Amino acid sequence: MRLLVIEDEKKAGEYLKKGLEESGFTVDVAANGIDGLHHALEEAYDLVVLDVMLPGIDGWEVLRRIRAKKDTPVLLLTAIDELEERVRGLELGGDDYLVKPFAFVELLARIRTLLRRGPPRDIEHVHIGDLEIDAVRRRVRRSGQRIDLTPKEFALLQLLARRRGEVLSRTQIASYVWDMNFDSDTNVVEVAIRRLRAKIDDGHDLKLIHTVRGMGYVLDEDREAG
Amino acid sequence: MRSLSLSTRLTATFTVITAVCFILVGWLLYRAAEQRIYAQDETNLVLSARHLRRFVAELDSIADLKAHQDRMVVSVLGDPSNALRIVDDTGQIIADHNPTGFPVDLQPAVPTGQRILTSMLRTWRDDHGLSIRGVAVTGQLRDGTHVTIAVARSLADREALLRHYRRDMALRLLAGLIAAIVLSHLLVRRALRPLRSMAIDAATIHAQSLHKRLTAGNAPAELHALSGALNDMLDRLEGGFARVWQFTVDLAHDLRTPIGNLRGTNEVALAHPRTPAEYQALLGSNIEECDRVSRTIESVLFLARADNPQFALQRAPLDVGTELERITEYFEGLASEAGVHIKVQGRATVHADRDLFRRAVGNLLSNALRYTPPGETITLLAERSDGAVMIAVENPGEGIPPEHLAQLFDRFYRVDRSRNDSANSTGLGLSIVKSIMELHGGRVSVDSQPHGMTRFTLWFPGD
Repeated sequence: MRLLVIEDEKKAGEYLKKGLEESGFTVDVAANGIDGLHHALEEAYDLVVLDVMLPGIDGWEVLRRIRAKKDTPVLLLTAIDELEERVRGLELGGDDYLVKPFAFVELLARIRTLLRRGPPRDIEHVHIGDLEIDAVRRRVRRSGQRIDLTPKEFALLQLLARRRGEVLSRTQIASYVWDMNFDSDTNVVEVAIRRLRAKIDDGHDLKLIHTVRGMGYVLDEDREAG
Repeated sequence: MRSLSLSTRLTATFTVITAVCFILVGWLLYRAAEQRIYAQDETNLVLSARHLRRFVAELDSIADLKAHQDRMVVSVLGDPSNALRIVDDTGQIIADHNPTGFPVDLQPAVPTGQRILTSMLRTWRDDHGLSIRGVAVTGQLRDGTHVTIAVARSLADREALLRHYRRDMALRLLAGLIAAIVLSHLLVRRALRPLRSMAIDAATIHAQSLHKRLTAGNAPAELHALSGALNDMLDRLEGGFARVWQFTVDLAHDLRTPIGNLRGTNEVALAHPRTPAEYQALLGSNIEECDRVSRTIESVLFLARADNPQFALQRAPLDVGTELERITEYFEGLASEAGVHIKVQGRATVHADRDLFRRAVGNLLSNALRYTPPGETITLLAERSDGAVMIAVENPGEGIPPEHLAQLFDRFYRVDRSRNDSANSTGLGLSIVKSIMELHGGRVSVDSQPHGMTRFTLWFPGD
């Protein structure tokens, strides 16, 4: 997958390129609107990450001109979290909108969502190592042993399994599992993960649920403990 | 019209009132004088006519009448404006006295038997358009002969008099009016002088000198009320400025801590070579500090946006019971780790923004969890009272000392500054609750008993 990042701030451009490349994407960075627009129109990208505040021609104009010719998905980055800005971005044809400062895992998740064709399907049966999740009957087994989970624990496990290998931030988890869309300064998610981990991983040598310090949580069978 | 000054408006108003009064009074006086003058003349005319008819009735014949002509003329002689004419039934003039020579009307004449009244007087005009007033009556001599007696008076002198009177009055009215304009203008200026001095006072008040106040001095009571109200406003503004200033200082302080941590841990880590695990731990810790800064920024921005009157609430009817259950579910894990039980009671519906409602209750509940001893129960309570809906979060514990209650909802206010658990709490949670309630037109209150119950209550107004 080939991505174009249009970002004027050098440090931000560098870390975005590095992070996205390490996540398996091919990344080009343009440092201003004119270069960015040129790249976006001349070359084939799967997605464009566009900073709204750019010198020369701003992100809105870049977006407008891309949309005049192409349907490449565009993810907008902005420092301004106002409803009007969001509405404007989406009206001009932006596909998603992320407010700075954002967690890198959040950006990654949004990019993956945009690149997935169609809505993610609920996979009926998931096998991760010796963990089995039956989404239809809402049952979980580890090494053949049945594990009883509360509905929220099941929802949490299902989210981690569907996004296996992907680090999910606390905010994302709170939003998906409990529909709580505010950045709470409590460690609710931490506790929920700890309890889920006790049920899933306790007594097994191979740990599946991992904490990535400062970033979030990931379900994976071959990952060094964080 | 809007830009006219107050003194101009007041002066104009006074002038109009004075003019109306002057004209009304002048007109009434003029009418009275006019009436008196004419009434006098009319009475004289009627009395002369009556007298002449009686006089004629005592004479024997036309010849007798001619002989006594002078005696008849005497009755109208006093005034050169008067005229008398007597004609017989053939139209022949028997007596005629008319010094100014104006036309005298003989028809119609009042019949012999009829009493002469003022209402029978008629007015006519001469060739110059001057008015003449008079009456003609029929008299009968002893021999049965009829004569027509006409008495009349020229009104030229009266009209000239009234004309003079009108002109004099107009001139005096004008003079009075000018005096009224000048006087009222001076008076208004004098009355408004304290207002100007207040304006000068007000002009010296800036953001840096908000402690200054307007002085009403010896101004009238109305202006005392105004300057009092303005001073109250200045009090509020000064308080607001002080809060903003304090907020800025607190914000800077709050950001300084995580940035200090960031710098310190990084400097220490860079001083010596470390293992990858140590670097990983450091980077993780850095991200945590960044999250802390982000949370503070997000909270500050939320509060700033909530202060903007254009904040767009996405209100919908919410089933409070369901929402409280859902929020409880979210905190369940945390509560059971802390050994605390959460109980939900009551049902109600509020018209509120779902995310903000959850955030408000969530902030209160996470606060309650922090201060509830293990083994105790937190109660979430919903109740309708007088159309309003109250939602209470109640927890047992040490309680909040009463001296802190008033400032509890202030931004960055922390009850225990020394404990400073700012790693977990931004110190903005309760301010955010307050802002959310204000956005909904409601309020939040707190009540706390030492070593008893602490109860935060959200009040949503009825629809």
